[in-house]
Amino acid sequence: MNDNSVHRKNTKGGGAAEGSSTPTRFVTTTVEVEGRTETRVVEMPAFALEPWGADAALTHVGARARRVDALVKAAGRPGYTTDIRRPHQVHASIVRAHVARGRVVSVDTTAALALPGVLDVLLAADAPARTKLFSSEITYYGQPLAAVCAESVEIAERAAALIVVQVEKLRHSSTVAQAIAPDAEPVRPGLANNLLFKEPRTNARGDVTAGLAAADVTITREVRTPCVLHTALEPHSAVAEWDGDHLTVWESTQGIFRVRDNLAKNLGVPLTNVRVICEAMGGGFGAKNYAAAHTYIAALFAKRLGRAVSCVVDRAGEQVDTGNRPSSVQRLTIGATKDGRLTAIDLVAEVPLGIGGWEGGPGEIYHELYACPNVRTHETFAFVNSAAMAAFRAPGHAEGAVGLEMGMNALAEALKMDPLELRRRNIATHDQKKNRPYTGNRLSECYDEGARRFGWSAWGNADSRRVPGKPHLRRGVGVAAQIWSTGGGPPSYATVRLNSDGSADVLAGSQDLGTGTRTILAQVAAEALGHKLESVRAIIGDTGATPYAGNSWGSMTVASLTPAVRMAAVDARNALLDAASGLLNAPKDLLDTRDGRVIVRDTDRSMSFGEVTTKLGNVMIQGHGSRGPNPQDAGIVTTGAQFAEVEVDIETGVVRVLKIVAVHDAGRIVNPTLAESQLEGGIIQGLGFALFEERVLDTRMGLPLNVGLHDYKIPTLADIPLIDGHFLDGADVQANHVGARGIAEPAIVPTAPAIAGAVADALGVAVLELPLTPWRVLAALKHQTGKSR
Amino acid sequence: MDLTLNGRRVSATPAGDATLLDLLRDSLGLTGTKRVCDGGACGACTVHLDGRPVYSCLTLAHGCDGHEVRTIEGLGSAIAPHPLQEAFAAEDAAQCGFCTPGQLMAAASLLASNANPTDAEIVAAMSGNLCRCGTYPKIVRAVRRASAVLRSETV
Repeated sequence: MNDNSVHRKNTKGGGAAEGSSTPTRFVTTTVEVEGRTETRVVEMPAFALEPWGADAALTHVGARARRVDALVKAAGRPGYTTDIRRPHQVHASIVRAHVARGRVVSVDTTAALALPGVLDVLLAADAPARTKLFSSEITYYGQPLAAVCAESVEIAERAAALIVVQVEKLRHSSTVAQAIAPDAEPVRPGLANNLLFKEPRTNARGDVTAGLAAADVTITREVRTPCVLHTALEPHSAVAEWDGDHLTVWESTQGIFRVRDNLAKNLGVPLTNVRVICEAMGGGFGAKNYAAAHTYIAALFAKRLGRAVSCVVDRAGEQVDTGNRPSSVQRLTIGATKDGRLTAIDLVAEVPLGIGGWEGGPGEIYHELYACPNVRTHETFAFVNSAAMAAFRAPGHAEGAVGLEMGMNALAEALKMDPLELRRRNIATHDQKKNRPYTGNRLSECYDEGARRFGWSAWGNADSRRVPGKPHLRRGVGVAAQIWSTGGGPPSYATVRLNSDGSADVLAGSQDLGTGTRTILAQVAAEALGHKLESVRAIIGDTGATPYAGNSWGSMTVASLTPAVRMAAVDARNALLDAASGLLNAPKDLLDTRDGRVIVRDTDRSMSFGEVTTKLGNVMIQGHGSRGPNPQDAGIVTTGAQFAEVEVDIETGVVRVLKIVAVHDAGRIVNPTLAESQLEGGIIQGLGFALFEERVLDTRMGLPLNVGLHDYKIPTLADIPLIDGHFLDGADVQANHVGARGIAEPAIVPTAPAIAGAVADALGVAVLELPLTPWRVLAALKHQTGKSR
Repeated sequence: MDLTLNGRRVSATPAGDATLLDLLRDSLGLTGTKRVCDGGACGACTVHLDGRPVYSCLTLAHGCDGHEVRTIEGLGSAIAPHPLQEAFAAEDAAQCGFCTPGQLMAAASLLASNANPTDAEIVAAMSGNLCRCGTYPKIVRAVRRASAVLRSETV
């Protein structure tokens, strides 16, 4: 790959300083974020790069490089926010509401302030209005009402318990039915009614009534999915420290720049005075995208006390007040011709959002996954008195796939057709929502490869569902598919600098959630520089040191950032070759780079990067890169299929997942090992969604009942099946010049429906409400037995 | 009170109700041991007390008076890793890494008492350690790998 001569369309030099900008310098593009389309202004990259095609000869990109911080993590020392210890650091604890709705009558802090070691108390009057801290209107259980700061966490927690809050209870709504009842009160002040957008949301294409009339077969099902919690092991946390009017905040976050922007705006401080650092974080999964109460509490106490303040949300707070995937009820009807072509899909859904939220609902995937001319989704998003939802790994699609795919299984049964064959006959060949092509959709190949690896065709007859010698066990298999927008997009910037010894730094304003961002960026930079991977280090997670990058959400990080990093590395390499050309006495177009050396082609002459940069002294070689616009005439999606085998005990109702095979198409895979880790992570979270996880809300009192990890069950090692995760080889050269799309969220989407399908296959009856707990399995069996009699 | 911490004598004056986890993280500054559930549900705070794995969040600091405690910092470092730490890195058994110290201490305890565990024995010994990123399959592979390395070293 010869990136020696880069054609500059624009220069950032003197011309711009004199006020003359190139007319095409700024353009608009669209970016898909968590199922929503955003229009953004983007600065055109200064030069264009040829895409790395599927057959490009690449050394570091595509290699199973070890995670660069793996040993630091294994030593327990990567620099998590909860491990930050600043000099004279003190600790804040949050006082929370214990009713679902009410009004604060009085707050008595006397006893708390009298406790030795207590330093300060923060109430509503002490917080800038923009922080929205400590509203006297209680709208959900767990809402912060006050905070206390003390010399130790223990004293702060004891003091928080001594703060007496008198509350006037008000009537709450915990369910959609309660929230939309004619006599329902607004669940929070200022709402005209309790619906998002004031009314249900209907999206439609074609004519669903005509499509259903034209169907040979129709099925109707009501499927329910639970409210589930992100449950990152590192809690939400911040450490804040002021130096004069400059604020530094360490935050466990998916978006350092967004936290900086939130803090600056809501505390009334210039952006340049706020620095946000996230060196390492212990998981986010969508719940850590903004500055939140704990962030403002730490910053405000730090200002008042002149000391570093940490505010770590405790586990109960983490489970009740940091976001969730809201529950859903999906009533769906699907019609098809007798040869299995879909004629219509109709969905009526209800989602209780919590006290805040957005329309990332189950309906979207009904418009996307299968080819169907007539689709209508009618979704009621109601605000209720419980904690606000937050994006949780493929929000909307993960729960929507459960309903849609269980519907497809019911349709396959009605048609007496193999569920895989039914899916093959309805692959969406283009983006039906926006009537445009996809840059690629190789779902058909995913089905083929997955079925082959799984041995799907061997599961034809009923005998294969029995386990010899164990009459109480039944086995079953299921399949489900996935589609999710993963194109990423601008703005994202990167700088690559060569140090005087030839080692290289990549600077980017991203963060590593555990996905491997650091490693991926170093791989791409090493590739484009022609450097050794161990000589390249990624510096991320610090708004004070790096150019801007967006949040790590929407499976966007790799597709957004790696093109900018590649461009920055090419820019730096270009400058290096300019310098080396004179030193090696060879024209630039004869030079190449490999393993950290500049070589003259077809000769034995070469110099190491360090030899070149040493000769330059303190002249610093820096390259800059930015992410260009997305193609406007094509949808960019990751697709995939997962196959599940389960074993169900029909006496106890216990479901065990034995095997999951997953095959996805995500364009170029920068690091197969890290990609497989993402896939396994999504599958295991999907398994928890299918079998165990459910936040239980007492609707009479409006209180969450299972707030700890004892009672809110996530999968453990004993629950893990054999997982065979695989990605198709390839590169999406239309999407961006690295050829990569996102993978983190696609991984979770098909898992729960594949497991639910397998359980239905094993039992001969579908369990239509997740999680598939023993009592639900036994109830479905009992209902089936009753009917057959 | 005195305890032997990672092979060294340490004196401390914890509050009467302080846990071993409080003592390690808040008084002694050993932050490798993580606080997650603070109630014995997740295993992230696993350390060794006289060679046996315990949840330090459920262990009173004063109960460790005169005893021997080993934490992740005593297992090895990034520069001089224990074979288990090297195996976790080689198998990509840490994603976010927050549960990893607890996983490693549970695994070290298993291998100390059973040099060549079966997969079922690994699952049984380590099911008390939660991971949310989904590293479980790779944890099993890493423990197997470390077991092989440690056995070859002792031959």
